[in-house]
Amino acid sequence: MRKFGMKRAIVGAAIAALAMNASAAHAASATGTAKAKILRQITLTNTSDLQYATIISGATASTVAVSTGGTRTCGGSLTCTGTATAANFDVAGTDGAVVVVGGDSSVTLNGSLGGTMTSSLTYSSATITLGATGGSFQVGGTLNVGANQASGDYSGTFNVTANYQ
Amino acid sequence: MVSEISTMLAQAGCDHRDGVGPYPETIVGIVSMLRFVKGFGLFTAVALGVAAAPVHAAGDLLVAPTRVILDGSRGTEVVLNNIGSEPATYRISLEIKRMTAEGGLDEIAEDEANPAERAALDMIAFSPRRVTLPPNQPQVIRVGVRVPEGTPQGEYRAHMLFRAVPDAAAAAPAAAAKPAGEGVSIALTPIYGITIPVIVRVGDLGAEASIGEAWVGETPDGPAFNFDLARTGNRSVYGDIEVTRPGVAEPLLVARGIAVYPEVAKRNVSLRVPGELAAKLKGPVRIRYTEDREIGGGTIDEAERIVK
Repeated sequence: MRKFGMKRAIVGAAIAALAMNASAAHAASATGTAKAKILRQITLTNTSDLQYATIISGATASTVAVSTGGTRTCGGSLTCTGTATAANFDVAGTDGAVVVVGGDSSVTLNGSLGGTMTSSLTYSSATITLGATGGSFQVGGTLNVGANQASGDYSGTFNVTANYQ
Repeated sequence: MVSEISTMLAQAGCDHRDGVGPYPETIVGIVSMLRFVKGFGLFTAVALGVAAAPVHAAGDLLVAPTRVILDGSRGTEVVLNNIGSEPATYRISLEIKRMTAEGGLDEIAEDEANPAERAALDMIAFSPRRVTLPPNQPQVIRVGVRVPEGTPQGEYRAHMLFRAVPDAAAAAPAAAAKPAGEGVSIALTPIYGITIPVIVRVGDLGAEASIGEAWVGETPDGPAFNFDLARTGNRSVYGDIEVTRPGVAEPLLVARGIAVYPEVAKRNVSLRVPGELAAKLKGPVRIRYTEDREIGGGTIDEAERIVK
Protein backbone atom coordinates (compact mmCIF):
# COMPACT_ATOMS: atom_id res chain seq x y z
CA MET A 1 0.00 0.00 0.00
CA ARG A 2 2.83 2.30 0.80
CA LYS A 3 4.48 1.60 -2.53
CA PHE A 4 1.27 2.37 -4.32
CA GLY A 5 1.14 5.67 -2.49
CA MET A 6 4.58 6.56 -3.72
CA LYS A 7 3.68 5.79 -7.28
CA ARG A 8 0.80 8.14 -7.04
CA ALA A 9 3.07 10.78 -5.59
CA ILE A 10 5.20 10.49 -8.70
CA VAL A 11 2.18 10.71 -10.92
CA GLY A 12 0.86 13.72 -9.08
CA ALA A 13 4.15 15.55 -9.25
CA ALA A 14 4.46 14.61 -12.88
CA ILE A 15 1.21 16.45 -13.54
CA ALA A 16 2.75 19.51 -11.96
CA ALA A 17 5.86 18.95 -14.05
CA LEU A 18 3.84 18.74 -17.25
CA ALA A 19 2.27 22.06 -16.51
CA MET A 20 5.70 23.49 -15.79
CA ASN A 21 6.92 22.15 -19.08
CA ALA A 22 4.07 23.91 -20.77
CA SER A 23 5.16 27.24 -19.41
CA ALA A 24 8.79 26.47 -20.14
CA ALA A 25 7.83 25.87 -23.75
CA HIS A 26 6.88 29.52 -24.02
CA ALA A 27 10.48 30.38 -23.30
CA ALA A 28 11.33 29.38 -26.87
CA SER A 29 13.95 26.93 -25.75
CA ALA A 30 14.95 24.46 -28.42
CA THR A 31 16.72 22.08 -26.12
CA GLY A 32 14.95 18.96 -25.01
CA THR A 33 16.81 18.25 -21.82
CA ALA A 34 14.75 16.86 -19.02
CA LYS A 35 15.78 16.82 -15.40
CA ALA A 36 14.24 14.96 -12.57
CA LYS A 37 14.64 15.82 -8.96
CA ILE A 38 14.09 13.06 -6.50
CA LEU A 39 12.84 14.41 -3.22
CA ARG A 40 13.49 12.75 0.07
CA GLN A 41 10.37 11.64 1.77
CA ILE A 42 9.04 10.59 5.10
CA THR A 43 5.94 8.54 5.77
CA LEU A 44 4.14 7.96 9.04
CA THR A 45 1.57 5.23 9.49
CA ASN A 46 -0.38 4.25 12.58
CA THR A 47 -0.64 0.47 12.79
CA SER A 48 -2.07 -0.04 16.26
CA ASP A 49 -3.73 2.01 18.97
CA LEU A 50 -2.93 2.35 22.62
CA GLN A 51 -5.55 0.05 24.15
CA TYR A 52 -6.11 -0.40 27.85
CA ALA A 53 -9.12 -2.52 26.85
CA THR A 54 -11.75 -2.97 29.56
CA ILE A 55 -11.27 -2.27 33.23
CA ILE A 56 -13.62 -2.89 36.14
CA SER A 57 -12.77 -0.38 38.83
CA GLY A 58 -12.42 -1.24 42.47
CA ALA A 59 -13.07 0.39 45.82
CA THR A 60 -9.65 2.08 45.85
CA ALA A 61 -7.87 4.18 43.26
CA SER A 62 -5.33 2.33 41.20
CA THR A 63 -3.47 2.34 37.91
CA VAL A 64 -3.26 0.27 34.76
CA ALA A 65 -0.01 0.45 32.82
CA VAL A 66 0.62 -0.64 29.25
CA SER A 67 4.32 -0.77 28.46
CA THR A 68 5.68 0.35 25.09
CA GLY A 69 6.07 -3.37 24.45
CA GLY A 70 2.31 -3.83 24.92
CA THR A 71 2.35 -5.62 28.28
CA ARG A 72 -0.45 -4.62 30.63
CA THR A 73 0.02 -4.37 34.36
CA CYS A 74 -3.30 -4.29 36.17
CA GLY A 75 -3.36 -2.49 39.53
CA GLY A 76 -4.29 -4.34 42.69
CA SER A 77 -7.94 -3.45 43.13
CA LEU A 78 -8.83 -3.65 39.43
CA THR A 79 -10.03 -6.34 37.06
CA CYS A 80 -8.73 -6.04 33.50
CA THR A 81 -10.10 -7.89 30.50
CA GLY A 82 -9.65 -7.71 26.76
CA THR A 83 -6.44 -7.37 24.82
CA ALA A 84 -4.17 -4.44 25.61
CA THR A 85 -1.81 -3.05 23.01
CA ALA A 86 0.68 -0.20 22.77
CA ALA A 87 0.24 2.29 19.94
CA ASN A 88 2.62 1.62 17.08
CA PHE A 89 3.77 4.00 14.41
CA ASP A 90 5.83 3.01 11.41
CA VAL A 91 8.14 5.60 9.92
CA ALA A 92 9.80 5.22 6.53
CA GLY A 93 12.28 7.47 4.82
CA THR A 94 15.92 7.78 3.86
CA ASP A 95 18.05 4.89 5.08
CA GLY A 96 19.99 6.09 8.11
CA ALA A 97 17.89 9.18 8.72
CA VAL A 98 17.40 10.20 12.33
CA VAL A 99 13.83 11.14 13.22
CA VAL A 100 12.94 12.88 16.48
CA VAL A 101 9.78 11.54 18.11
CA GLY A 102 7.61 14.02 19.97
CA GLY A 103 4.22 13.98 21.60
CA ASP A 104 2.01 14.75 24.55
CA SER A 105 3.13 13.39 27.90
CA SER A 106 -0.40 13.00 29.23
CA VAL A 107 -3.97 12.82 28.03
CA THR A 108 -7.36 13.39 29.67
CA LEU A 109 -10.14 10.93 28.88
CA ASN A 110 -13.80 11.83 29.11
CA GLY A 111 -16.38 9.20 29.94
CA SER A 112 -19.59 8.71 27.99
CA LEU A 113 -21.53 8.73 31.27
CA GLY A 114 -19.52 11.51 32.87
CA GLY A 115 -16.27 11.36 34.75
CA THR A 116 -12.70 11.81 33.58
CA MET A 117 -9.46 9.93 33.86
CA THR A 118 -5.92 10.88 33.04
CA SER A 119 -3.22 8.80 31.47
CA SER A 120 0.46 9.51 31.27
CA LEU A 121 2.13 8.53 28.01
CA THR A 122 5.54 7.00 27.44
CA TYR A 123 7.46 6.74 24.19
CA SER A 124 9.74 3.88 23.28
CA SER A 125 12.44 6.24 22.11
CA ALA A 126 13.16 9.95 21.77
CA THR A 127 14.81 9.39 18.39
CA ILE A 128 14.81 6.60 15.86
CA THR A 129 17.38 5.90 13.18
CA LEU A 130 15.68 4.53 10.10
CA GLY A 131 16.99 1.35 8.57
CA ALA A 132 16.53 0.13 5.00
CA THR A 133 12.98 -0.86 5.86
CA GLY A 134 12.27 2.21 7.99
CA GLY A 135 11.67 2.15 11.70
CA SER A 136 8.95 2.34 14.29
CA PHE A 137 8.16 3.67 17.72
CA GLN A 138 5.58 2.72 20.31
CA VAL A 139 3.51 4.66 22.80
CA GLY A 140 2.47 3.14 26.10
CA GLY A 141 0.98 4.74 29.16
CA THR A 142 -0.28 4.56 32.70
CA LEU A 143 -3.97 5.15 33.33
CA ASN A 144 -5.13 6.54 36.65
CA VAL A 145 -8.39 4.88 37.65
CA GLY A 146 -10.29 6.47 40.51
CA ALA A 147 -12.00 4.60 43.33
CA ASN A 148 -15.33 3.38 41.96
CA GLN A 149 -14.60 5.17 38.70
CA ALA A 150 -17.85 5.90 36.86
CA SER A 151 -18.38 3.23 34.23
CA GLY A 152 -18.68 4.12 30.58
CA ASP A 153 -16.68 4.47 27.42
CA TYR A 154 -13.78 6.80 27.95
CA SER A 155 -12.12 8.46 25.00
CA GLY A 156 -9.39 10.99 24.47
CA THR A 157 -6.93 12.16 21.86
CA PHE A 158 -3.22 12.79 22.07
CA ASN A 159 -0.71 14.38 19.72
CA VAL A 160 2.27 12.54 18.25
CA THR A 161 4.74 13.89 15.71
CA ALA A 162 7.68 12.50 13.79
CA ASN A 163 10.09 15.39 13.31
CA TYR A 164 12.90 15.82 10.86
CA GLN A 165 15.69 18.06 12.11
CA MET B 1 12.96 -0.36 -0.23
CA VAL B 2 14.45 2.45 -2.20
CA SER B 3 13.39 5.15 0.13
CA GLU B 4 14.41 8.26 -1.69
CA ILE B 5 12.40 7.55 -4.77
CA SER B 6 9.12 9.10 -4.00
CA THR B 7 8.45 12.20 -5.85
CA MET B 8 9.78 13.67 -8.98
CA LEU B 9 9.66 17.21 -10.00
CA ALA B 10 10.76 16.98 -13.57
CA GLN B 11 11.79 20.19 -15.17
CA ALA B 12 12.48 20.53 -18.84
CA GLY B 13 15.31 22.92 -19.52
CA CYS B 14 14.59 25.07 -16.52
CA ASP B 15 16.42 23.94 -13.47
CA HIS B 16 16.16 26.72 -10.95
CA ARG B 17 19.31 25.53 -9.24
CA ASP B 18 21.67 26.32 -12.08
CA GLY B 19 19.69 29.29 -13.22
CA VAL B 20 19.53 28.19 -16.85
CA GLY B 21 16.27 29.17 -18.40
CA PRO B 22 13.36 30.89 -16.79
CA TYR B 23 11.83 29.31 -13.76
CA PRO B 24 8.12 29.69 -14.03
CA GLU B 25 6.99 32.27 -11.56
CA THR B 26 3.66 30.65 -11.20
CA ILE B 27 4.11 27.57 -9.13
CA VAL B 28 1.83 24.94 -10.44
CA GLY B 29 -0.37 23.37 -7.86
CA ILE B 30 -2.18 20.16 -8.42
CA VAL B 31 -5.87 20.79 -8.74
CA SER B 32 -7.04 20.86 -5.22
CA MET B 33 -10.16 18.97 -4.66
CA LEU B 34 -12.99 19.09 -2.25
CA ARG B 35 -14.46 15.73 -2.03
CA PHE B 36 -16.99 14.36 0.25
CA VAL B 37 -15.40 12.91 3.33
CA LYS B 38 -17.05 9.81 4.49
CA GLY B 39 -15.55 9.97 7.92
CA PHE B 40 -12.41 8.66 9.34
CA GLY B 41 -13.32 5.13 10.14
CA LEU B 42 -11.84 5.74 13.54
CA PHE B 43 -13.95 4.00 16.04
CA THR B 44 -13.69 3.21 19.66
CA ALA B 45 -14.07 0.12 21.69
CA VAL B 46 -17.66 -0.11 22.72
CA ALA B 47 -18.71 -3.41 24.17
CA LEU B 48 -17.55 -4.75 27.47
CA GLY B 49 -14.91 -7.39 27.09
CA VAL B 50 -14.68 -7.02 23.35
CA ALA B 51 -11.34 -5.80 22.14
CA ALA B 52 -11.66 -3.23 19.42
CA ALA B 53 -10.36 -4.14 16.02
CA PRO B 54 -7.14 -2.24 15.30
CA VAL B 55 -7.93 1.16 13.92
CA HIS B 56 -6.59 1.42 10.47
CA ALA B 57 -5.54 4.60 10.20
CA ALA B 58 -7.06 7.34 8.27
CA GLY B 59 -4.50 10.06 8.42
CA ASP B 60 -1.40 8.15 7.39
CA LEU B 61 0.73 10.49 5.38
CA LEU B 62 3.80 11.07 3.22
CA VAL B 63 5.72 14.33 3.09
CA ALA B 64 8.54 15.25 0.70
CA PRO B 65 11.06 16.81 0.91
CA THR B 66 12.08 16.47 4.54
CA ARG B 67 13.81 19.84 4.89
CA VAL B 68 13.35 23.17 3.16
CA ILE B 69 15.93 25.94 2.92
CA LEU B 70 14.93 29.25 1.35
CA ASP B 71 17.32 32.01 0.42
CA GLY B 72 14.80 34.70 1.10
CA SER B 73 13.36 35.37 -2.33
CA ARG B 74 12.28 32.21 -4.03
CA GLY B 75 9.66 29.80 -2.81
CA THR B 76 9.36 26.06 -3.14
CA GLU B 77 6.90 23.21 -2.99
CA VAL B 78 6.26 20.41 -0.55
CA VAL B 79 4.26 17.34 -1.51
CA LEU B 80 1.76 15.82 0.91
CA ASN B 81 0.21 12.48 0.06
CA ASN B 82 -2.59 10.56 1.76
CA ILE B 83 -1.20 7.05 2.08
CA GLY B 84 -4.03 5.85 4.30
CA SER B 85 -6.94 3.75 3.14
CA GLU B 86 -9.62 6.37 3.84
CA PRO B 87 -10.09 9.97 2.76
CA ALA B 88 -8.58 12.35 5.26
CA THR B 89 -8.50 16.06 5.90
CA TYR B 90 -5.05 17.40 6.68
CA ARG B 91 -4.15 20.67 8.27
CA ILE B 92 -0.85 22.34 7.54
CA SER B 93 0.56 24.80 10.05
CA LEU B 94 3.80 26.37 11.20
CA GLU B 95 5.13 25.56 14.64
CA ILE B 96 8.02 26.85 16.64
CA LYS B 97 10.44 24.34 18.04
CA ARG B 98 13.64 24.89 19.96
CA MET B 99 16.44 22.41 20.05
CA THR B 100 17.47 21.19 23.48
CA ALA B 101 20.96 20.28 24.67
CA GLU B 102 19.87 16.64 24.39
CA GLY B 103 19.01 17.11 20.72
CA GLY B 104 15.25 17.06 21.22
CA LEU B 105 12.87 19.59 19.72
CA ASP B 106 10.72 21.38 22.30
CA GLU B 107 7.46 22.77 21.12
CA ILE B 108 7.05 26.45 21.93
CA ALA B 109 3.64 28.11 22.20
CA GLU B 110 3.20 30.95 19.76
CA ASP B 111 2.82 33.57 22.49
CA GLU B 112 6.17 32.53 23.92
CA ALA B 113 7.99 33.02 20.65
CA ASN B 114 11.02 35.31 20.67
CA PRO B 115 11.29 38.06 18.02
CA ALA B 116 13.33 35.93 15.59
CA GLU B 117 10.87 33.05 15.83
CA ARG B 118 7.98 35.47 15.38
CA ALA B 119 9.73 36.88 12.31
CA ALA B 120 10.07 33.39 10.85
CA LEU B 121 6.34 32.77 11.22
CA ASP B 122 5.61 36.09 9.55
CA MET B 123 7.93 35.69 6.57
CA ILE B 124 6.91 32.15 5.58
CA ALA B 125 3.68 31.89 3.62
CA PHE B 126 2.10 28.67 2.43
CA SER B 127 -1.01 27.42 0.76
CA PRO B 128 -3.28 25.54 1.11
CA ARG B 129 -3.60 25.26 4.89
CA ARG B 130 -6.23 22.58 4.91
CA VAL B 131 -6.88 19.94 2.32
CA THR B 132 -9.06 16.86 1.99
CA LEU B 133 -7.43 14.04 0.07
CA PRO B 134 -8.77 10.68 -1.05
CA PRO B 135 -6.37 7.75 -0.59
CA ASN B 136 -3.20 7.98 -2.63
CA GLN B 137 -3.86 11.52 -3.70
CA PRO B 138 -0.91 13.90 -3.51
CA GLN B 139 -1.21 17.61 -2.97
CA VAL B 140 1.42 20.25 -3.60
CA ILE B 141 1.80 22.79 -0.80
CA ARG B 142 3.30 26.01 -2.12
CA VAL B 143 5.73 27.65 0.24
CA GLY B 144 6.70 31.27 -0.28
CA VAL B 145 8.91 33.64 1.62
CA ARG B 146 8.95 37.40 1.98
CA VAL B 147 11.76 38.93 3.95
CA PRO B 148 10.81 42.43 5.11
CA GLU B 149 13.28 45.22 4.42
CA GLY B 150 15.68 45.72 7.28
CA THR B 151 15.46 42.17 8.61
CA PRO B 152 18.70 41.50 10.50
CA GLN B 153 20.85 38.87 8.87
CA GLY B 154 20.55 35.43 10.34
CA GLU B 155 18.75 32.17 10.09
CA TYR B 156 14.98 32.13 10.63
CA ARG B 157 13.21 28.84 11.14
CA ALA B 158 9.79 27.39 11.67
CA HIS B 159 8.63 23.78 11.49
CA MET B 160 5.87 22.91 9.08
CA LEU B 161 3.42 20.46 10.62
CA PHE B 162 1.24 18.21 8.49
CA ARG B 163 -1.39 16.24 10.25
CA ALA B 164 -4.82 14.78 9.83
CA VAL B 165 -7.71 16.56 11.47
CA PRO B 166 -9.66 14.17 13.69
CA ASP B 167 -13.14 13.65 12.42
CA ALA B 168 -16.06 14.67 14.61
CA ALA B 169 -17.57 11.22 14.18
CA ALA B 170 -14.49 9.72 15.77
CA ALA B 171 -15.00 11.56 19.02
CA ALA B 172 -17.34 9.47 21.14
CA PRO B 173 -19.87 6.77 20.43
CA ALA B 174 -22.44 8.49 22.59
CA ALA B 175 -25.26 6.23 21.44
CA ALA B 176 -23.63 3.12 22.78
CA ALA B 177 -24.11 3.90 26.42
CA LYS B 178 -22.84 1.27 28.75
CA PRO B 179 -25.00 -0.12 31.53
CA ALA B 180 -23.90 1.20 34.89
CA GLY B 181 -21.48 -0.90 36.89
CA GLU B 182 -20.12 -2.75 33.90
CA GLY B 183 -16.64 -1.32 34.00
CA VAL B 184 -14.92 1.16 31.76
CA SER B 185 -13.56 0.84 28.29
CA ILE B 186 -10.88 3.11 27.02
CA ALA B 187 -10.22 4.47 23.54
CA LEU B 188 -7.29 6.73 22.88
CA THR B 189 -7.04 8.24 19.44
CA PRO B 190 -3.66 9.55 18.36
CA ILE B 191 -3.55 12.69 16.26
CA TYR B 192 -0.30 12.22 14.47
CA GLY B 193 1.73 14.13 11.99
CA ILE B 194 5.08 14.97 10.50
CA THR B 195 7.11 18.13 10.88
CA ILE B 196 9.86 19.36 8.60
CA PRO B 197 12.01 22.44 9.17
CA VAL B 198 11.56 25.45 6.90
CA ILE B 199 14.68 27.57 7.12
CA VAL B 200 15.08 31.09 5.72
CA ARG B 201 18.62 32.42 5.46
CA VAL B 202 19.11 36.16 5.30
CA GLY B 203 22.56 37.49 4.53
CA ASP B 204 25.89 35.75 4.22
CA LEU B 205 25.98 33.20 7.01
CA GLY B 206 28.52 30.67 8.15
CA ALA B 207 28.92 28.02 10.80
CA GLU B 208 31.32 25.36 11.93
CA ALA B 209 30.92 22.31 14.09
CA SER B 210 33.25 20.21 16.17
CA ILE B 211 32.89 16.69 17.48
CA GLY B 212 33.46 16.23 21.21
CA GLU B 213 33.76 13.20 23.42
CA ALA B 214 32.10 9.94 22.40
CA TRP B 215 30.82 7.16 24.62
CA VAL B 216 28.44 4.25 24.74
CA GLY B 217 25.76 4.62 27.41
CA GLU B 218 22.62 2.94 28.59
CA THR B 219 19.20 4.50 28.10
CA PRO B 220 15.96 3.12 29.55
CA ASP B 221 15.32 1.67 26.10
CA GLY B 222 18.71 0.09 25.54
CA PRO B 223 22.26 1.06 24.69
CA ALA B 224 23.07 4.20 22.74
CA PHE B 225 26.11 5.67 21.04
CA ASN B 226 26.62 9.24 22.23
CA PHE B 227 28.82 12.14 21.31
CA ASP B 228 28.82 15.89 21.76
CA LEU B 229 28.51 18.18 18.80
CA ALA B 230 29.43 21.85 19.26
CA ARG B 231 28.58 24.64 16.85
CA THR B 232 29.84 28.17 16.23
CA GLY B 233 28.67 30.79 13.77
CA ASN B 234 25.38 32.39 12.85
CA ARG B 235 23.50 29.55 11.25
CA SER B 236 22.68 25.90 11.84
CA VAL B 237 24.84 23.00 10.76
CA TYR B 238 23.32 19.92 9.22
CA GLY B 239 24.71 16.71 7.88
CA ASP B 240 25.42 13.02 8.16
CA ILE B 241 27.44 11.13 10.73
CA GLU B 242 29.62 8.17 9.85
CA VAL B 243 31.48 6.16 12.46
CA THR B 244 34.25 3.94 11.18
CA ARG B 245 36.91 1.76 12.76
CA PRO B 246 40.41 2.55 11.50
CA GLY B 247 41.37 -0.06 8.91
CA VAL B 248 37.82 -1.24 8.35
CA ALA B 249 36.09 0.05 5.24
CA GLU B 250 32.50 -0.69 6.21
CA PRO B 251 31.19 2.00 8.58
CA LEU B 252 30.03 0.82 11.98
CA LEU B 253 27.25 3.36 12.14
CA VAL B 254 25.65 5.84 9.76
CA ALA B 255 23.13 8.45 10.90
CA ARG B 256 21.79 10.99 8.45
CA GLY B 257 20.16 14.32 9.02
CA ILE B 258 21.75 15.50 12.26
CA ALA B 259 21.33 19.23 12.87
CA VAL B 260 22.63 21.67 15.44
CA TYR B 261 20.36 24.68 15.41
CA PRO B 262 21.54 28.21 16.26
CA GLU B 263 19.70 28.29 19.58
CA VAL B 264 22.15 25.76 20.97
CA ALA B 265 25.94 26.04 20.98
CA LYS B 266 26.32 22.36 21.74
CA ARG B 267 24.12 19.31 21.72
CA ASN B 268 24.39 15.68 22.59
CA VAL B 269 23.76 13.22 19.79
CA SER B 270 22.39 9.98 21.17
CA LEU B 271 21.77 7.15 18.73
CA ARG B 272 20.13 3.95 19.90
CA VAL B 273 22.08 0.92 18.77
CA PRO B 274 21.64 -2.82 19.19
CA GLY B 275 23.66 -4.30 22.06
CA GLU B 276 25.98 -6.14 19.70
CA LEU B 277 26.86 -2.93 17.87
CA ALA B 278 27.27 -1.05 21.15
CA ALA B 279 29.99 -3.49 22.15
CA LYS B 280 31.67 -3.17 18.77
CA LEU B 281 31.68 0.62 18.90
CA LYS B 282 33.87 0.68 21.99
CA GLY B 283 37.49 1.42 21.24
CA PRO B 284 39.16 3.61 18.63
CA VAL B 285 36.83 5.08 16.02
CA ARG B 286 36.80 7.87 13.49
CA ILE B 287 33.69 10.06 13.52
CA ARG B 288 33.03 12.11 10.43
CA TYR B 289 30.34 14.77 10.14
CA THR B 290 29.68 15.67 6.52
CA GLU B 291 27.39 18.06 4.77
CA ASP B 292 24.32 16.72 3.07
CA ARG B 293 25.11 14.68 -0.03
CA GLU B 294 22.79 16.97 -1.96
CA ILE B 295 25.09 19.91 -1.44
CA GLY B 296 28.33 18.08 -2.05
CA GLY B 297 28.96 16.08 1.10
CA GLY B 298 31.98 18.08 2.25
CA THR B 299 33.47 17.33 5.65
CA ILE B 300 32.30 19.61 8.44
CA ASP B 301 34.42 17.96 11.12
CA GLU B 302 36.28 14.76 11.62
CA ALA B 303 37.73 13.32 14.81
CA GLU B 304 39.45 10.23 16.18
CA ARG B 305 37.97 9.15 19.46
CA ILE B 306 38.37 6.32 21.89
CA VAL B 307 34.84 5.27 22.74
CA LYS B 308 34.38 4.32 26.36
